[in-house]
Amino acid sequence: MSAITITLLLAAFTLLAMAVVMGTILGVANKVFHVPVDVRLERVAASLPGANCGACDYVGCGEYAEAILVKGEAITKCPVGGPAVASAVGEIMGVSVEEAFPVRPVVHCAATTAQRLKQTPYHGEQTCNAANLVGGIQGCVYGCLGLGDCVAVCDYDAIHMIDGVAVIDYIKCIGCGACVKACPRNIISQVPFKADRILAVQCANKDFGKEVQEVCEVGCTGCKSCARANPDLISVVDNLPVFDYTKYDPRMSLQVIQDKCRRESMVWLGKPTPTELALAANETMPARQEAEFKTTVDQTEWRG
Amino acid sequence: MDYLAQLLLIGLGAGLIHNFVLYYFVGLCPFMGVSKKIDMALGMGLAVTFVIAIASTLSWGLTYYVLRPGAFLSSWALSLITGQAGEVDLTVLAYLVYIFSIASSVQFVEMYLRKYFPPLYKSFGIYLPLITTNCAILFACLEIMKNVVGVDTAAVWGLDKALVLSVGGGLGFTLAIVIMAGIREELELADTPKSMQGAPIAFIVAGILALAFMGFAGIDTSLGKLMLGGS
Repeated sequence: MSAITITLLLAAFTLLAMAVVMGTILGVANKVFHVPVDVRLERVAASLPGANCGACDYVGCGEYAEAILVKGEAITKCPVGGPAVASAVGEIMGVSVEEAFPVRPVVHCAATTAQRLKQTPYHGEQTCNAANLVGGIQGCVYGCLGLGDCVAVCDYDAIHMIDGVAVIDYIKCIGCGACVKACPRNIISQVPFKADRILAVQCANKDFGKEVQEVCEVGCTGCKSCARANPDLISVVDNLPVFDYTKYDPRMSLQVIQDKCRRESMVWLGKPTPTELALAANETMPARQEAEFKTTVDQTEWRG
Repeated sequence: MDYLAQLLLIGLGAGLIHNFVLYYFVGLCPFMGVSKKIDMALGMGLAVTFVIAIASTLSWGLTYYVLRPGAFLSSWALSLITGQAGEVDLTVLAYLVYIFSIASSVQFVEMYLRKYFPPLYKSFGIYLPLITTNCAILFACLEIMKNVVGVDTAAVWGLDKALVLSVGGGLGFTLAIVIMAGIREELELADTPKSMQGAPIAFIVAGILALAFMGFAGIDTSLGKLMLGGS
């Protein structure tokens, strides 16, 4: 045999021997270090939406799936997937699902810029977080500042500033709660929507009636008429009516409560009614603007 | 005494003076990828050190007994086949064999961590299998090969020196990545220009760190003169 053949042979043999030895070691190690993995984990993770929005208070869908399996976390905590996902997960886990309602945010302020009184021009950084540190921008220290921190954090284009107040688009909203965390005045709260439209209090001012009237044209004065109309459902705390949404039932006579309100703080919220949709149907859509891609727009905002 | 001094010089040289990351710029992938938090960086550094130690032991053994010309096992196999003594040079296989041993040891470490340190295993994520392709480890193996193949018989490195080099290099890598993570943790709070946020500023910081490590250059030669008496 020539030298080159021998070298080739030995090289092949070396690699073969290494493969056998390493393979054996790794095979044994695989048995010794075996970690049992729950087969359901993958299936639960697959049935979750995978949006990783964090609304369930876990880092992502994977973490939540693990929490369901290991810690026995509730399967209804995913607001994005709603009842469909809960029942899918329940099927895998062998847990029956109680009726779950979608949780959606409610902005507890309805005053437009014009309706908020005692305003002072504000030229600082245009975020609510910064403006909230400065006093006297508007009379009401509880209400919406209208600078759109909540709009900026919404990944679903579901919250907009309309006439200077945050308005949620309940068709687009998935209830991830990003806006709730973003609001520095804490006037957005998560509420279970037991029907497409529910009644909610759209004011956060805890002052007495006279002071509220001085700073806002629509704010709640704490007159307690609504609580008298349905004392079971509504209690007045700090001059503000508070709904007990666990007792809320869409079949209740709720219109009475709204009719009793002398201000404009008791509002129906939720998906648009058929009448509203019919009204909007006649409106012409603005022409769609196609991007030209001619220039690059620098989004940086420079402020002195 | 000379022996200990030599070991010290090799270890110090690999860890500090000729730091794998900041002098030779190998192993940049985990250096950039896992240097966002100090505890994760420390875990990564120690995992790399562990893998480097296993892999270089394996590759030293393979180089010494199989690959180098006149190695014990290859000569024996040759005499078995041809019936006469001689030597075969199998160093062409070096890269293949090293990657093979590195990949196996990474697999081993991965299984071990998964069993006994699940949180560490989870925090590594994709970066643990990526140690396989960490050039710092292959670099250590090749450095060892340079001192085993093609040198005088008296100067051939034993396992002791190979291990000191690899562990020293691994600890140097740990040091570099932990320093980097510390800086990057502080950097999170800094008002970085938008165009510099994230990776760009990290690379600039790495460059400045490398400049700082240049200060160690030359220490080993003068230290060697001092300890080994000018040899």
